[in-house]
Amino acid sequence: MPRLDLAIVRLAAPVVPDDIRRDWKREWEAELAFDHGRGRGGTARAARAVGAVVHACWLRWDRWRWDVIWNDLKYAARSLRKHPGFTVVAVLSLAVGIGANAAIFGAVRAVLLRPLPFSSPEELVAVSTTTMERPDAAGGASSPPDFTDWRRDLRGFVEMAAVIAGASALTGDGPAEQVPSASVTGGFFGVLGVPALYGRALEPADDPVGAPDVAVLGHALWQRRYGGRRDIVGSTITLDSRPFQVVGVMPAGFAYPLGADLWIPQRFSDEELRTQRGAQYLDVIARLAPGVTLLQARDEMRAFARRLAEVHPRTNNDRTIALHPMREALVGDVRAAMFLMLGAVGLVLLIVCVNVANLVLTRAVGRRREWAVRTALGAGRARLVRGLLAESGLLAVVGGLAGLVVAMWVTRLIAALEGSVAIPLLDQTRVDGTVALFTLAVSGLAAAAFGTLPAWQASKGLDVAVGIREEGGGTTGAGSRQRLRGALIVVEAALAVVLLVGAGLLMRSFLGLVAVDLGFSRERVQTFNLSLPELTYPTPPARAAVVDTLLSRVRAHPEVEAAAAIFGLPLTNFGYVISMSTLDERTLDDKESMERSLQVRVVTPDYFRAMGIPIRRGRAFGDADRLGAPPAVLVNETAAARLWPGQDPLGHSFAMGTRLGHRETRAGGTVVGVVGDVRDFGPARAVRPTVYLAHAQRPVDFVTIVVKARSDPGPLVPTLNGIVATLDPNLPLYRVRTMDQLARDAVAQPRLFLMLLAVFAIAAVLLAAVGIYGVMAHAVSQRTREIGLRIALGAERGTVLRMVVGQAMTMAVGGLAMGMAGAMATGRLMRGLLFGVEPFDPVTFLAAGAGFAGVALVASALPARRAARVDPVEALRES
Amino acid sequence: MRRLSLTAASILQAIVDGGVYGFDIIDRTGLPSGTVYPALSRLERDGYVKSTWEDEDDARAEGRPARRNYQLTAPGVRALAETTRHYRALLPALGRMPARGRA
Repeated sequence: MPRLDLAIVRLAAPVVPDDIRRDWKREWEAELAFDHGRGRGGTARAARAVGAVVHACWLRWDRWRWDVIWNDLKYAARSLRKHPGFTVVAVLSLAVGIGANAAIFGAVRAVLLRPLPFSSPEELVAVSTTTMERPDAAGGASSPPDFTDWRRDLRGFVEMAAVIAGASALTGDGPAEQVPSASVTGGFFGVLGVPALYGRALEPADDPVGAPDVAVLGHALWQRRYGGRRDIVGSTITLDSRPFQVVGVMPAGFAYPLGADLWIPQRFSDEELRTQRGAQYLDVIARLAPGVTLLQARDEMRAFARRLAEVHPRTNNDRTIALHPMREALVGDVRAAMFLMLGAVGLVLLIVCVNVANLVLTRAVGRRREWAVRTALGAGRARLVRGLLAESGLLAVVGGLAGLVVAMWVTRLIAALEGSVAIPLLDQTRVDGTVALFTLAVSGLAAAAFGTLPAWQASKGLDVAVGIREEGGGTTGAGSRQRLRGALIVVEAALAVVLLVGAGLLMRSFLGLVAVDLGFSRERVQTFNLSLPELTYPTPPARAAVVDTLLSRVRAHPEVEAAAAIFGLPLTNFGYVISMSTLDERTLDDKESMERSLQVRVVTPDYFRAMGIPIRRGRAFGDADRLGAPPAVLVNETAAARLWPGQDPLGHSFAMGTRLGHRETRAGGTVVGVVGDVRDFGPARAVRPTVYLAHAQRPVDFVTIVVKARSDPGPLVPTLNGIVATLDPNLPLYRVRTMDQLARDAVAQPRLFLMLLAVFAIAAVLLAAVGIYGVMAHAVSQRTREIGLRIALGAERGTVLRMVVGQAMTMAVGGLAMGMAGAMATGRLMRGLLFGVEPFDPVTFLAAGAGFAGVALVASALPARRAARVDPVEALRES
Repeated sequence: MRRLSLTAASILQAIVDGGVYGFDIIDRTGLPSGTVYPALSRLERDGYVKSTWEDEDDARAEGRPARRNYQLTAPGVRALAETTRHYRALLPALGRMPARGRA
């Protein structure tokens, strides 16, 4: 049987320094033989032999020790200082490459990798109600009766909670302000597993209707408004005109839903639980029971959904459940895109490494004489290679440190550009210890990447005689090195082309997105939200009156062209879909009712004018459409085409499945007009069939005020604030933003990815151009004599020019071809990021190819011109 | 005179006690081979121990290859004494400390 212990010793032997290797091996073998002889087991001996590996490494390390390595580093530092041009270029490009990598890694970590600030976050899931058609769609809200049934009957979960993100008007103890808040059921804090910092969090005991009104404060609100006073626990605050007792304060960093700073109980009355199975407005989160997987829990939920559908076919017929990990629910589906960016920035670093390797190779040519002399004086080849590696290491360390600075700068830049608008949690990006460690690792890899090749090149073919003789500037011997540098340029060009094509695709996609007609005019439209507390405005007429008064006061301002209110502003991801109960007096069966679901919006008459939405047929709402008058509705073109294909929709009527706005009649009415389609959910999402109801007839308690200004709407905001404060000082306006802002935010994510990739691609192309320039310039300078000779023998200068450019373009075109192939191979990865563009879009490929070829042409033209201007007399005399 | 680490001191002591071969030192000290050997090499480099090879014939008589044995040099003996004295001086203080750290 082969002896494992001896095998280990034999394997470690090469590590031991040459001169003591024989003795080392002899000793270990003798000791192991002795052990063997006295009957020690094979495993125990193998364990002992592992010590031989440690011993071998120690001996090698001891030989190297600090003084030797220190010497190498000192020598490397001196050598780098002597060539500041080379050093600065290398360090700067490394800093950019490494820094960009660190920044993107930091972003990936913040968004995708860092554990969410909850206890055992991997057990947390988001529960979405969805339809059989899209069974895995995330984000669908659920109804209170469904939620209550799940929580009571399902076994796969420790706890389950419903959440409604919203905002509450905080008044009384300071200026009125709208605080981002959440109404949550009692299990909420148990699901997330985060206890209160002071006092207590909400509990299931807070769930029954009629229990005391209590509130839990977020850390930021507590610090900001109450100065971090602990005695706030137990005191009473006023939310939406109702008193709430503060029972606890949450620790810093706890914010779920994102941005929430206040939590109050969400309660369901028995009546609601009996009748509201059709009302889907709850976000549900849950914690999986120990040992239960997401898929098991999902299967249990889907089986339960089928049972509910049998019992409540009218509402639950088509429903099923989707479960998603909490993070996915929080940040959406950005995983693929973010890792793509990380890959792209990795390519940039690779190009940087190739460039620096090229620089080192170029320098190596100039140092052949130095090395030859050092070798002649007795320096071992290992010593020279070590010296080169020390230089690379030093470059990488300095480049890495500078890269950290670049990373902090880039991180701040990304946050300033889009913050959390584009991707939730992105603004949490920090350059912390983990990112620094990553940077260190990347720097090490980079050093290995650009340092090994030149060192290997230098180590072979170090011929003293040739090296010293070559001092005169001969043309031989450098052939293989020149070929290697050419190959590096081809690789570099290929990588740059891959990035360029990627950026081009994103660019085309983005241009397509912003070219989409949103269906409204985004110019000069200011918006803000108002929610009307039930206590102050309990009845529909009261709600209609206050909105009316407000709008007429706003309209009176000379700078205002139109003012209106809407429930469900476009681009605010406001989903409110209701099924239809009767169509043209005919009661629909369940299937028809579902198929004719409509998105519901409630507006005041001037809304379409303020937003520039065209009236296609009939009329808009007028003052006659008030409470008591026959209910009128408008539909968008999509709804008209779906409900009454090929017919005139005017005069038709329908009723919806709910009594929106007030309790007497179902929402619905007679169609009096058709309005243009609006992209409510952004340019990439389809238009939904939509019905507009008149606010005067269905006064809701939450509206967005829309003000069309005659010029820049910004200066109007203080005026609007004043008008609202005069009307009701306890009514804060919040989410103050322009439609232009919303339209820009709607494409913030694709724009961010485009900008990142564009920057990477530009950097890559510039680096490749510098590389081509460097190699050609060096080649020309090495061949000055040959070129001079050619010219002396009668070569046209144009021929010389073409020769140099031709050589450069051979490399560039080689890289281009490889890059195109690479782009085709990676295009698949980009499909999810593209809108209206195929990953193999020929226009993009052609443009990227032509662009890169142009840059390569320019980069090679300079050295080519220098070659063409070589003075044959000078060139020949020099030799 | 430089004071030695506990590891180095216990290896020197093991040699003094008669464990002159590497694996005997391992057995006597209970330290892992990956600790003992580098420490031995270091002690030899610093001149505290020297090594010689066992007589080939003696080894062959036992049917095994010759082993390398270690002896203390004069500086090694002094260093061990100094180190032992130092640690011994610490002992009374150790005895006064509570058995466990503060609760």
